[in-house]
Amino acid sequence: MKNKYSEPNSEGFFGSYGGKFVPETLIEALDELEKCYEDIKSDSEFQKKIDRDLADFVGRPSPLYFAERLTEHFKGPNIWLKREDLNHTGAHKINNTIGQILLAKMMGKTRIIAETGAGQHGVATATVAARLGLECHIYMGAEDVQRQSLNVYRIKLLGAHVHPVESGTATLKDALNEAIRDWVTNVDNTYYIIGSVTGPHPYPMIVRDFNAIVGRELIHQSQASFQSLPDAIIACVGGGSNAIGIFHPFIDEDVRLIGVEAAGQGIDTGKHAAPLNDGEPGILHGAKSYLMQDSDGQIMATSSISAGLDYPGVGPEHSFLKDSGRAEYIAVDDESVMKAFHQLSELEGIIPALETAHAFAPLDLICSEFNEDQNIVINVSGRGDKDIASVAKLEGIDLE
Amino acid sequence: MNRIEKQLVENKNNNIKSLVAYLVAGDPNMDDTLSLMHGFVDAGVDVIEVGVPFSDPIAEGPIIQSAHDRSLANKTSFEGIIDLISNFRKKNTNTPIVLMGYLNSFLKNQKAFSRFDDIGIDGVLIVDAPGEYSLKDLGISNANVVSISLVSPTTTKERTKKICNASSGFIYYVTLKGVTGSSNVDLEEIKSNVIDLQKNTDLPVMAGFGIKNKEQAESISKVADGVVIGSYLVESIFEAKKTTDYKRIYNYLSEIKSVINK
Repeated sequence: MKNKYSEPNSEGFFGSYGGKFVPETLIEALDELEKCYEDIKSDSEFQKKIDRDLADFVGRPSPLYFAERLTEHFKGPNIWLKREDLNHTGAHKINNTIGQILLAKMMGKTRIIAETGAGQHGVATATVAARLGLECHIYMGAEDVQRQSLNVYRIKLLGAHVHPVESGTATLKDALNEAIRDWVTNVDNTYYIIGSVTGPHPYPMIVRDFNAIVGRELIHQSQASFQSLPDAIIACVGGGSNAIGIFHPFIDEDVRLIGVEAAGQGIDTGKHAAPLNDGEPGILHGAKSYLMQDSDGQIMATSSISAGLDYPGVGPEHSFLKDSGRAEYIAVDDESVMKAFHQLSELEGIIPALETAHAFAPLDLICSEFNEDQNIVINVSGRGDKDIASVAKLEGIDLE
Repeated sequence: MNRIEKQLVENKNNNIKSLVAYLVAGDPNMDDTLSLMHGFVDAGVDVIEVGVPFSDPIAEGPIIQSAHDRSLANKTSFEGIIDLISNFRKKNTNTPIVLMGYLNSFLKNQKAFSRFDDIGIDGVLIVDAPGEYSLKDLGISNANVVSISLVSPTTTKERTKKICNASSGFIYYVTLKGVTGSSNVDLEEIKSNVIDLQKNTDLPVMAGFGIKNKEQAESISKVADGVVIGSYLVESIFEAKKTTDYKRIYNYLSEIKSVINK
């Protein structure tokens, strides 16, 4: 019999990936977080509280929806959509922040910080901080502040402070750097809510576990809807939290797991954000994982139409699943993403986030590998409202 | 014996407090870095920490971050830094040199690591490498290169012991919770923590992060075996770059060296 999947190990490694590569000042804070997380895992009161918040505040479970016209269009397997876009705040990100804010409260922290790329994690963090009355600071690359201005305003409406980060490439990776620096400085009273399955242990594990509600719901919903597990699950991958959340409960099952990275202007151009497709292992933001780096070990600038995927690294568990062959990782370029964005809007009445549209872009190829009796599920990780202005701009449409 | 061990033991035996000075390789350019290193030594610096610039230096405050960015914009490479040290050694074979940087740079250049002692690099301080790991654990081993670790105000007693056991050369005590160059140093807290730390190790303890003025240096040197000056020097180098007149910096270092040995 096969061993049950149990990564990471006690040191925080998924195979050889992950770990805790941070300045010394943070080690104690990470150890404390790990201990506290172990305590709440077996605390039924805490778990009940999370379940209640997920039901009443987030609106879970999110539906599993049969995409009839998309299925007809591709003439292949039945296509089902896991509707994380219908969650409160519009994306899967809230699954994680609901859990982490309760952890923060339990640890007695009074100040919350977070990084954000597309702004969805910033909104999800500001939302839960507002609800619990905690001071909240969001770090966001200055370039992302420009291209996601709607979310910046939402974060401010929720009472949080937005700090534009001008250093480096002024995108998500630099926002992470700055959040880590804040944490080093204010470690006594501050809780850092990391938004993806990246960063030092125990974050990749905690963020995965809080997002795994998506996969657990899918087990029941697929049994109810088509009396079997899905034949494949598809999700976009930046840091990889929505993907790992829906993949994780299926790792020991006979289900194809397909992650889709951002090929930006094309893998061949080098201007992309697809470290699993065109990167190599290294250390960034506290963990060992696949990265986009140059021959001297400097982290490279990335390019993607979506701010949320514009990141040179990826969660260590994805690196492990890639090397072990358990999950497949492909990449799609900006142009095909835009096509998919319009296609889903027009065929199903669902305007996806640009990040999410990546998971739809390779459907032509993927559908050809399945027959009409099979079922594939796509994680609709977020809705596209935040992207409307930038899509219009890209297409030369004046909304003013 | 490694140059670091030799120099620091000699200082300790002669009751001399050590001065460790940091600069970023390639800021403002490699030629100036080389002449600054020689100037540091003439001013009384005992150990030079040469910063290896990295694109994502998470432990650095704005001053050193900007220096890393400027150096990378000058196309500073790891090979270039090795050349810098080789050139320095043509004139100076005594002063210990430590490379300070981030793990990804050292892993990516691990082939060069085995040559470090031949080149004249005596130690490394890898900011994001867990202190309880030895260089061998990290896959970059060279028996003749010392591995300097950081101990911070948040490090537990149990960890302090582990870190001291895995370290060599000296222990770098981080004087504050924060990034390099912050201003919230608490002299009394530093002193009592350094005394605790010394109970766990025979290695010399150097204290740094946020030390700028003579008063701070003098006070800390009452207990520590030496002080590290970083951000203040990097800022002064930046300010002086138009004139390339670094005399004021050398005078400052001489003064620090003399007050810590008052």
